[in-house]
Amino acid sequence: MAMRATLRCLSANFSTRLPQLSSAAQVSARRLLWRSSSPRTLSTTSVLSTALKFTEKHEWVQVEGGIGTVGISNYAQEALGDVVYCGLPEVGQKVEQMEEFGALESVKAASELYSPLTGEVTEINTELAENPGLVNKECYAKGWLIKMTIEKPEELDGLMDQAAYDKFVKSLEE
Amino acid sequence: MMTSQLRRTFSFLRAGTGPPLQAWTASRCLFLDSGSSSSDVGLVLQSQSTDVHQNLALEDWIDAHVDLQQRHILLLWRNRPAVVIGRHQNPWSECNLPAMRRAGIPLARRRSGGGTVFHDLGNLNLTFFASKKGYDRRRNLKVVTEALRRLGLDARATDRLDILLNGHYKISGTASRLSRKSSYHHCTLLHSADRSALSAVLRPSCPGVQSNATASVPSPVTNLVEHAPWLRWEQLLDAVLQQYNAEFGLSSASVLVNPADESEFPGLGSMAAELRSWDWTFGKTPKFSVETLLELRDEQLSARCSAQLHMEVRSGLVERCRLGVPAEWLPLGLSRQLSEVLLGERFCPHRAAAAVTALLLSESGPLNGRLQNLSEALLAAMG
Repeated sequence: MAMRATLRCLSANFSTRLPQLSSAAQVSARRLLWRSSSPRTLSTTSVLSTALKFTEKHEWVQVEGGIGTVGISNYAQEALGDVVYCGLPEVGQKVEQMEEFGALESVKAASELYSPLTGEVTEINTELAENPGLVNKECYAKGWLIKMTIEKPEELDGLMDQAAYDKFVKSLEE
Repeated sequence: MMTSQLRRTFSFLRAGTGPPLQAWTASRCLFLDSGSSSSDVGLVLQSQSTDVHQNLALEDWIDAHVDLQQRHILLLWRNRPAVVIGRHQNPWSECNLPAMRRAGIPLARRRSGGGTVFHDLGNLNLTFFASKKGYDRRRNLKVVTEALRRLGLDARATDRLDILLNGHYKISGTASRLSRKSSYHHCTLLHSADRSALSAVLRPSCPGVQSNATASVPSPVTNLVEHAPWLRWEQLLDAVLQQYNAEFGLSSASVLVNPADESEFPGLGSMAAELRSWDWTFGKTPKFSVETLLELRDEQLSARCSAQLHMEVRSGLVERCRLGVPAEWLPLGLSRQLSEVLLGERFCPHRAAAAVTALLLSESGPLNGRLQNLSEALLAAMG
């Protein structure tokens, strides 16, 4: 049930954002994955660079052109309640993976935000200053939090894909 | 998560019967090794410190170092007079910094959200630690309201999680924090605080602050002793302790802890230092602007005029400053020099005064009086 809801939320937010890979491109991408056995071949992450990856702290990151956009998942925004303030870092701030980079204050509590990757903040979502509720309403689209460079692309391999994350959320709800 | 050093230092002593508030020092009893019990365990701690930064650091220390997955902890504490603002608040709009400076009342920014409160020795702070799953603010507040009801007082929690006495006066406010693995929810409880000090400090420092920082919701407050003059501090603590035990199925006595003891709480000192730092207390203020009118006076000529002030402050530092002083009052070049000298300085009248001194000394002519007057008005607008 939760998975279906999450997917519905995802597709509603994403229909205009994700570039569609042609089926031929998808097949050859998969073949590349099978063949990549040595570190010198294409890594998983650059091929699937437009899919969401998730952390155990319920943040997502979407990579495009070497820049990662970071936000919180639907599970997280629901758990948080109405966000009243977004405490985001400064542009140019360097963050380490799992390091705290800001906090969201909601009617429920102040909750820390943990960086999914190591890199430098290139942009923060200034719309959230006037409209923090975007984090609840469009957690995967207009409610994004920061954009950052990706210093260590291999960190992406350690994050969960959609299926793994859905499973993870299900296990928490039990 | 327990470090091996902590495991060596602490061993668990389950408090049995005896006078409810009898306390053992922390060196003898503290935390249960994780995994040694399948049922929930609870503990009531009482801080020996009355230093606001040390007590806030104690909260952070417990949150970071104690395994709260199957454990509930209640921490009782109080502070010497202090003003505590929420994580994302603006101290210049929430409290009267000049008045606090004069009275020696420090400012602290806590890590939880919520609004601004005044602490003194007549205010009891309660912190309920739990796992993220066990996070239940209403249940925690029930501990307080039930304890007060048993004492014959009409106390009820509102939707905002304030506690009102007799349906009208606020006696408690709530805030909380969700961190990596655990949670804490803390609230105040006004037993016998100095209400005139409270209202003197909980007003803005300077006019014209515009920001999207989280704002406090002012409410009329009262002390418990104003309605139950017989209620002693120890009785209140005892009632809360009993109710906590009842609510969570425990039988703890309260344990005294000393956060100043680095051997008991390694690293707490540096956590407190971070909380005391200007960078945390003021530097974490969300970006804001000041928009106000300065009233200028020339005593010698009995002349007056108004000047517009626009300042932008980011991370507590002046990022932009514009002084709209009529050219006939003061040459535009001079007012511009004055605003430029403040750029990059802390938004603080002391720092600003130091920065302005050189300019004042260099302008020793007939305009010195007006320049001084302008500087004073500017400093006054900075709280």
